[in-house]
Amino acid sequence: MLTSIKNFLGLDIKAKKYSLSDDPLFGRISDAKKPDKWVFSTCGYCGVGCGLYIGVKNGKAVYTKGNAAHNVNMGTLCPKGLSEHEMITSSNRIPSPMMRKNGKWQNTSWDDALTHVSDKFKEITNKYGAKAIGVLSTGQLLTEEFYTLGKFVQLGLRTNNYDGNTTLCMSSAVMGYKQSLGSDGPTGSYEDFVHANVIVLVGANISDNHPILKLHIEKNPNNPKIIVIDPRKSKTAQMADMFIPLKPRTDLALFNGLAYIILEQGWENSEYLKNNVTGLGDLRKHLENYPPQEVANITGIDVKTLYEVARLYASSTAVLSAWTMGVNQSYMGTDTVSAIINLHLLTGQIGRPGAAPFSITGQCNAMGTRESGFTSSLPGYRNYGDEKAALEYANIINVPLELIPTQRGYKYGEIIEAIEAGEIKALWVVATNPLVSFVDQTRLRKALAKLELLVVQDAFMSDTAQLADVIFAAGTWGEKEGTYTNSERRCNRANKAVNPPGIAKSDFDIFLEFSSYFDGVRELIYPNWKTPSDAFEEWKRVSRGQLCDYSGITYEMLEHHGGIQWPCNEQFPLGSPRLYTPDIPFRTYDGKAKLLPLEWIPLQEPAGKQFPIILNTGRTVEQWHTRTKTGNIDILNDLAPEAWVDINPSDAQALEVKSGDRLAISSPRGRVENIVVRVTQTVREGDVFVPFHFNTQLINTLTPSLFCPKSGEPNYKQTAVQLHSQKVPQGIVMKSPEISGELAYDNNEMAYEITAVKEKSL
Amino acid sequence: MSHTSTPLESFIGYKADTGMQCGNYSIDVPPLKEGEQYRFHFDATKCVGCRCCEVACNEQNNNPADIKWRRVGEMEGGSFPDTLLLFNSMSCNHCVDPACLIGCPTNSYIKIDNGIVIHDDPSCIGCQYCTWNCPYGVPTYHEERHIVTKCHMCYERLEADQSPACVQACPSGAIEIEAVNIQEWMEKDIDTFGNMPHLADARLTNSTTRFTLPENIPLEMLKADEHHLKPAHSELPLVFMTVLTQMSLGAFGALFIGDILSLFGFFKPNWMLALLVLIPAALGLPLSALHLGRPLKALSAMKNLRTSWLSREAAALGAFTGLMSANVALYFFDIHISIRLGFELLTMLVGIYGIHAQAMIYRIPARPSWDRTSTNQKFFTTAYSGFFLVSLALILLGSSDSATVLLSSAMIVAVIHGFFTFGAYNELKFSPAPQLQKTLRLYRERFNTMHTLRWITFGVGALALPLLATLFITSDLTLEAITTLGIGFLLLVSSELMDRFLFYTTTIPLQMAGGFFVGPQRN
Repeated sequence: MLTSIKNFLGLDIKAKKYSLSDDPLFGRISDAKKPDKWVFSTCGYCGVGCGLYIGVKNGKAVYTKGNAAHNVNMGTLCPKGLSEHEMITSSNRIPSPMMRKNGKWQNTSWDDALTHVSDKFKEITNKYGAKAIGVLSTGQLLTEEFYTLGKFVQLGLRTNNYDGNTTLCMSSAVMGYKQSLGSDGPTGSYEDFVHANVIVLVGANISDNHPILKLHIEKNPNNPKIIVIDPRKSKTAQMADMFIPLKPRTDLALFNGLAYIILEQGWENSEYLKNNVTGLGDLRKHLENYPPQEVANITGIDVKTLYEVARLYASSTAVLSAWTMGVNQSYMGTDTVSAIINLHLLTGQIGRPGAAPFSITGQCNAMGTRESGFTSSLPGYRNYGDEKAALEYANIINVPLELIPTQRGYKYGEIIEAIEAGEIKALWVVATNPLVSFVDQTRLRKALAKLELLVVQDAFMSDTAQLADVIFAAGTWGEKEGTYTNSERRCNRANKAVNPPGIAKSDFDIFLEFSSYFDGVRELIYPNWKTPSDAFEEWKRVSRGQLCDYSGITYEMLEHHGGIQWPCNEQFPLGSPRLYTPDIPFRTYDGKAKLLPLEWIPLQEPAGKQFPIILNTGRTVEQWHTRTKTGNIDILNDLAPEAWVDINPSDAQALEVKSGDRLAISSPRGRVENIVVRVTQTVREGDVFVPFHFNTQLINTLTPSLFCPKSGEPNYKQTAVQLHSQKVPQGIVMKSPEISGELAYDNNEMAYEITAVKEKSL
Repeated sequence: MSHTSTPLESFIGYKADTGMQCGNYSIDVPPLKEGEQYRFHFDATKCVGCRCCEVACNEQNNNPADIKWRRVGEMEGGSFPDTLLLFNSMSCNHCVDPACLIGCPTNSYIKIDNGIVIHDDPSCIGCQYCTWNCPYGVPTYHEERHIVTKCHMCYERLEADQSPACVQACPSGAIEIEAVNIQEWMEKDIDTFGNMPHLADARLTNSTTRFTLPENIPLEMLKADEHHLKPAHSELPLVFMTVLTQMSLGAFGALFIGDILSLFGFFKPNWMLALLVLIPAALGLPLSALHLGRPLKALSAMKNLRTSWLSREAAALGAFTGLMSANVALYFFDIHISIRLGFELLTMLVGIYGIHAQAMIYRIPARPSWDRTSTNQKFFTTAYSGFFLVSLALILLGSSDSATVLLSSAMIVAVIHGFFTFGAYNELKFSPAPQLQKTLRLYRERFNTMHTLRWITFGVGALALPLLATLFITSDLTLEAITTLGIGFLLLVSSELMDRFLFYTTTIPLQMAGGFFVGPQRN
């Protein structure tokens, strides 16, 4: 009462709460949040991998500050990183394992939860075989945890139907690197942004998704030419000296066209090709189908621009092509990655400072799971089916060879299909939220309803967790220790700053403990393991001699040097900034990279009469993935609290909508209501953009079950849709259907037909 | 392996290898020469709209999510694919002639030696006049603290050679601190480098922020929050305070004139009437303290008579009310009329100055709908309501003749008032200023019913019923006259309160472009 009177009268202006005081490390900072200690760590959001310190006061994380001595971020952090401590105390944390009893959630002991799930797993294994258990993991765990989880799933549970959400974002890069260069592994380095003369950002909106990379571009002393290739004039496109607004999913044709011009003009780097590359003849023949005029028709980019870009690739001292989801999340994601690599091989723009085809990773440790996680390959980039590699691995970890899986199991989308088909009966989801992030949500939800058991292991009460039978309550960033590996192969150290809430445990501890519920498994695969460093020590031995060689790394080095870029061994004691330098041969059998003939395929669902608009999805800087981490951080969520639709003024006019109005979007798979309109010239007429983060406007209801046949990555970025406003509920009437040389999708007859109408030349 | 201790560098003095001010927790700014001050440089060609600066600022200052000292605004121009997205990251522009400082009634703003405009928290009374005055909407009221707060360029860090949080956080090096020679800036550079689309002209307050803009900005740059239409705070205590003090001025004027006319045989005013005219102001003035964050410190609002119209208003209307109270005593003790008339003349002049000062509070460029002559006209002519009050009292006191005369003047002033007020509204239709356009939209789209009601009650209360009352008076139907006029008075007071409510709530301030969802992040 007294306080409220005092408050009303304004007697207390809370001066102390808002005063500053001196911190010996970071200077004058908020007194109320001045930490008792600073804990060295690495950001747990995206794949940039920024070094930071977590400020801890009275056992609570209160501050996140960029590490000025760290190579990646040099003191800066993005808005998510700057507020990351708030994630730890988010109101949707799960403090205890839970089980659903009679339809109601109940907190339970770890023993009950693990007993129940292990019994059920055993029962299902006995009844249907081990492969009836599916596991979906993530790119969010620590490498030690990925290695531990992979071992448990493949060698303990003995199912290879195991994949990560990395298949939703980076698997096309993985498969592209593999088919062209012989192994996964991003070739470049952030310092290449500093050395390059030409920086090509293709399908990469770094301003929203990786803003800290701008630091490296800003540091470039060469006044580099920046080329942005994107159907959208994104925030990133604003930095472009040359903006290439190609039509949706025509990137592969574009890169083929550039390769055509380079060969036509004799601009290729013959010296480099002779010594390092195979497949030139086949490529040259294949590219005959991609003459400039044809490519101009496909991409909407004029011939003159094509020649200019090709010339820049060929004539510049150093060209860096960086890409993310715009390339990867495509039906031909893998081949598009290879088409970019083709271009770099042809021009010799690889393995030198500033010259690389370079994928930028989405998640903090997508790399860790790619290298150690048993999904797309055996640990250490050992290929499935390579008997020698399998034997080598079995010997290192001292298990019988027959335990080592010989082939990759189902990929993410195939796991969902197998659930649908009744083949997979139990699903264990670790730190990912398919109920927002996966395509074709109606189908996904129907499939998941068929499961006998859904176990979700997460730090946050995600949409998927709410559907689970059992929840394993996990610790998150700042509550556990290990390493993350970022886009540039830099292994970074993450330390524990605070304890997980309640009785939640680190994922590592959960895996170890869970394994002891299966006879002999823990003893066999985790002999004497107690802490993540036990996993790391084994991982170092496993990776020794592989491309992703961690054998020379120690935790102490990581803190001392601000991360180490693998390979790190006797030859490269402090790592290597890039791959495929003269010292590092390609990982193919002959040590040469492959130029590949790659076919551009038109949209399976082009814009048509019923669905005349192409929907593109993506992200915004304020939110992380499905908002389980950022949705409760006010300073982020307030800035982007719901989805919106970017729509060109012409389309807005046709729909009679203004910014701030609401509309619905439909596709053959469903309809999403109540999306706020943002009229903008950043999208062309006929294209719209909606961020995918929001369960309130679940845009993945609309996206198709269409996957890259090689990587299994969904084709998120192009969906034919219709828009429905209040005033024009029937939507947009298509003006002139462009069907030349494309597969036209006639929705009334539900059939694909090829039309071969020659388009008039421009 | 668990780590109890980790290697940790002190980042004060550590220079990150960026070649820019960003990233570093320490800063090298040149020592100021004579005639120089510190200022921000914002390079819009580097900014990618990532909002690191916004979050870093809040983290540094422990501000809650809804108190943003630094804000990032978005604008768009051109057409696809030649679309320009323009970002403006702005905190305080540390002006040479800060409107916040000039208007502050408690001298709570200080432009310190290095040019940074800081806010002295303990002396602030939370009147929020600075939040009206600043054409950039920089000062922001912090409800939890009951005071206004704003960016101080992290001056306490700068003093120790440490980087401001926004500068340190920007991954593009788009925000920098630099020294500027004030004279050179004011003489030439300010017009070339001081302006940004949708910001008030830098000359208005002589803003010091230097902007680097992209070349060939399209003529039309749309704000990302153009579609927002948000009423301003209704300021209820001020609605009552202004109307009531203006009523008192009118009532006192009637008393004063009546006192003069009594020399010619008209009704002789008495102490009860003198008390009556004081009551509205005596009610209204303390009410106004309710809009303060710290009402107990209301009296310190008179500290800045030198430059603040708010101080002048507080002092003058305080004095006006005091003098009116003394005047009651003069009547009560029947002091000689010559002394009384002299005293009343003084009181009247103080009152007129008080209402003038009150109107001048609103004559600020940052609020275009207020900054019009019609505001002064409206405030003064609202005095007609005081005439009605006194007329009513005169009938009650049995002086119907005097009442009739006063009523006719009341109705004439009311008509003039109606004319000015409607003119102020009508003027909106012909103004190209985007803020006034939105004010008009607020009237039409959000407050149409109240606006209609305002005119109906005005017509009935200030014209129709008084006319009827005049008829009743001439027909010696005193009770009917009293009832009619009484109802009329209540209606016209409601009408003026509604009009004043609309005056406050339909104002659209000058403001930077905001975010699509959050707008300019100001209440």
